[in-house]
Amino acid sequence: MKYRARWIALAAGLVVTVFAVVLATQVGTDPRADANKSHLLGQNAPALDLPTLDGGRVGSSDLAGKIVILNFWNSWCIPCQEEHSALADFYGRHAGDPGFAMVGIVRDDTDGAIRRYVAAERVPYPVALDPGARASLEFGTRGQPETYAISPDGVITGTRFGPSSVANLEQLLAAARGQR
Amino acid sequence: MSRRTVAWVALAAVVVVTLAIVAWPRGGKPSAAQRVQSVSSELRCPDCESQSIAQSSTETARAARADIRTRVAAGQSDAEIRQAYIDKFGPSILLKPESGGLGILVWGLPAAALVLGAGGLVLALRRWRREPHLRPTEADRELVQRARPR
Amino acid sequence: MKATLGVLALALGASGALLGVGTFAVGLARHDDRLLRVGRRYVFVVLAAAVLAAAVMEWALITHDFSLQYVADNNARATPLLFTITGLWAALEGSILLWTLVLGGYLAFTAHKFRNRATDPLVAWALLVGLVVALFFFVLTLGPANPFKTLATAPADGRGPNPLLQNHPLMAFHPPMLYLGYVGFTIPFSFAIASLVTGRFGEGWLAETRRATLVAWGFLTIGIILGAWWSYEVLGWGGYWAWDPVENASLLPWLTATAFIHSVIVQERRGMLRVWNLSLVIATFCLTILGTFLTRSGILNSVHSFTQSAIGPTLLVFLGIVAATGIGLIAWRGDRLRTPGRIDSPVSRESAFLANNLLFAALAFVVLLGTVYPLIAEALQNKQLSVGEPYFNRMTTPLGIALLFLMAVAPALPWRQTSRAVLRDRLIVSAWAGALAMVIAVALGARELAQVLAFGLGAFAVAGIARQYVIGVRGRRRATGEARPIALVRMVRGNARLYGGLVVHVGVVIIAVAIASSSAYSTKREVRLATGQSATVRGYTLTYTGSHTHRSGQKNTVSADVRIRSGGDDLGTYAPAISTFPNASEGIGTPSVRTGLREDVYLTLVSSPNQQGRVIIGVAVNPMVLWLWVGGGVMALGTAVALSPSLRRRTRRVEEPVPVAPPPPVPERVPV
Repeated sequence: MKYRARWIALAAGLVVTVFAVVLATQVGTDPRADANKSHLLGQNAPALDLPTLDGGRVGSSDLAGKIVILNFWNSWCIPCQEEHSALADFYGRHAGDPGFAMVGIVRDDTDGAIRRYVAAERVPYPVALDPGARASLEFGTRGQPETYAISPDGVITGTRFGPSSVANLEQLLAAARGQR
Repeated sequence: MSRRTVAWVALAAVVVVTLAIVAWPRGGKPSAAQRVQSVSSELRCPDCESQSIAQSSTETARAARADIRTRVAAGQSDAEIRQAYIDKFGPSILLKPESGGLGILVWGLPAAALVLGAGGLVLALRRWRREPHLRPTEADRELVQRARPR
Repeated sequence: MKATLGVLALALGASGALLGVGTFAVGLARHDDRLLRVGRRYVFVVLAAAVLAAAVMEWALITHDFSLQYVADNNARATPLLFTITGLWAALEGSILLWTLVLGGYLAFTAHKFRNRATDPLVAWALLVGLVVALFFFVLTLGPANPFKTLATAPADGRGPNPLLQNHPLMAFHPPMLYLGYVGFTIPFSFAIASLVTGRFGEGWLAETRRATLVAWGFLTIGIILGAWWSYEVLGWGGYWAWDPVENASLLPWLTATAFIHSVIVQERRGMLRVWNLSLVIATFCLTILGTFLTRSGILNSVHSFTQSAIGPTLLVFLGIVAATGIGLIAWRGDRLRTPGRIDSPVSRESAFLANNLLFAALAFVVLLGTVYPLIAEALQNKQLSVGEPYFNRMTTPLGIALLFLMAVAPALPWRQTSRAVLRDRLIVSAWAGALAMVIAVALGARELAQVLAFGLGAFAVAGIARQYVIGVRGRRRATGEARPIALVRMVRGNARLYGGLVVHVGVVIIAVAIASSSAYSTKREVRLATGQSATVRGYTLTYTGSHTHRSGQKNTVSADVRIRSGGDDLGTYAPAISTFPNASEGIGTPSVRTGLREDVYLTLVSSPNQQGRVIIGVAVNPMVLWLWVGGGVMALGTAVALSPSLRRRTRRVEEPVPVAPPPPVPERVPV
């Protein structure tokens, strides 16, 4: 065909245009968006059975029937340190409520560093350890800090990845109570 | 048979036998350790960029390896284990795109492109063969003869 | 003050490029030779401006001038001098500055090389296109990627470079090598556009840019190998190639450029494949821009991730313009590009080159598709997917094996056509070498198909290359009676491209075998050791003898001493480490590698000593990794040989005519 090169060029142009459009629509999106929401939303929370810092244990049986806020953290992550005061504040507001429980679960850290941090920062809520990172895996955590809100019937109603403010935590609490 | 042919036939025999030894399906199912290795090399380590669970040394990866070991021992199939991880972490936990659905694009297109390209080459070669070979005719030779300097 | 000077330099560069483009455009439109000659000078203005801007930035870095945001972000008072200097390319803005510098250098070199053809429209158009590209990059530095932004109040100390970038002196070489490669492809691209525009489709532009293409390709190869080396020795995850989007971005133009280097030979000999070669060159350049876009726009997950900036859309628009121009030009001139050339036989070297191109194009397609597939999935289905090593390995391994096969067979194929008998005679010895290598490999325990094939085909290829050399030297000695070394040197210099290329192939074979071995037979274990305890992995006994803490400047390093013994021999003490920096939350691991001829022992410190003083050491035994770097060196050597100037046949000076029989002809190339 006399103008074969033109047809090929046309086809190539079409492919390149489609390609460019796909790329253009993705500019400005965050490739890590997936990592910022949990896939366990709306499902039953995995069972828990972890040692606590003071030598005891905390498990799903202790938390049944309560609204539970779980916060995965560790002592060396900077956003965790940033949200610490908000967490302490939030806990202070609701600690008296018998239907409320909050546990901080430490992932990927060393015993000594955790104790030092808890002592220095005077963490008010119970701290559980996750040796072997089993709970972190069960909950599908990808990093820290991550906060999960569990309703009294054991369903994960809200998650937040990244540092939270008191307002964020109140929102999670409200969602777990069933109020929107 | 000439010596040359013998040499090539012997070569072919050696190559075929060797490849057969290598490619022969090894009897028995893959061991538990092998299954753990293969499944964990296809799942992305959740807190890494692109390393597999098999490669990474983060605590999450180690926990995941232990978890996969437990699942394999409990008799779960590869697909079930993969699905469990997809349920927890989303489809981006897979390092190998699934073959169905949109995955046809990423698995099938390269093969299709290769086949098309090879086909195009074959067609072009055939077309070139069919074009007449120009051979000098008597008239051409006379022309050259007359043009040569005496 | 420095900021003003820097911005002025960049503005000078931009205006120089703009004026150069204008002068060339007007000169070409009016066929005015004088304007064309003047236009040339603007190229040197651009180079001077880029040099000045880079010098100002280096000056600011070395004097720790934190009033500049770039210096505050990427440098600190405690940063060692070497990493201060390499800070020029530590982040986005500086990298673009480096790009303009390298581009200016290449353009100036081209302008100088063609100084006697300054009025040739082909050269003028090429320089014009080159200046347009330079203009784009200068505009980038004046706009979204301005390295000379100032801070209202200069901090007392800067943030310092990313810790990963301070770990190793290799940081000095890897990015500049890559850029010397990427940017170098601008030259053949400019000439390709020039030839399309001027309608001079003959092989002239190919010959002019042959060396430039090979130089750029060589640097890109070295840059990629250095990146793999850095990944292995410094980053500590234990591998050399992760199929990370940024790695793929550097591989893509390499693949198309390799295809181009081979198909160019077909065009030189038979005048065919013009459209294909033009497309390859334009595609290579587009891929370098695409690669920069993928790396810098932040749309893909990557270890190399940079923060998003406005540079992404700008690069995409530029890429669109370049691609549209290239495709448009080919469509416009399409009817005039077809040639009556033909390939006589499917069993000929031309066909082998065509097959080579098909395979490289398929490879590039696979790598590109795999890299952008997450974007496609996100755009079409709003799902976030990953594509990683299992996919790429599965798809590229068969293509790689096929290429090894071609490398083995092609050098023995004559041009045009051959009879089966000739081919069989030429290949039988090399083929047996390959078969024997396969048998030995299997006898030694190799059981992976890809690995055994790699060994066999690799030996086949190397034997064939040795045969080329031996026959060439033998033929030359028969004609001239020279001593072997002299004959070898003269033969190579008589056809530097062929013999250098064969050396490069040897390097590729070495790398292929190393990859096949290390991917099939690596062992990886983690061992928990108390002080004095030992563990055995694959015949190596590792004893943890103690740990040290070391503070230097901003870096706080904990290292663990591990003594390695093998069968009674003490192989030394190695110290994997974890370093922490005040501004980073996680520790950066530094591996310690015992490099051996046959295998490496790769140690990482997974966790520093806990309360009981136990450490977790990651141990990996990786076979043949050293040969990756050796193969890379051989490729570089082969490229240098291929670039060496060919020996021209010296005309014999005859004092007076002497009635003797003419001397036997010295063949410049031995017919093979």
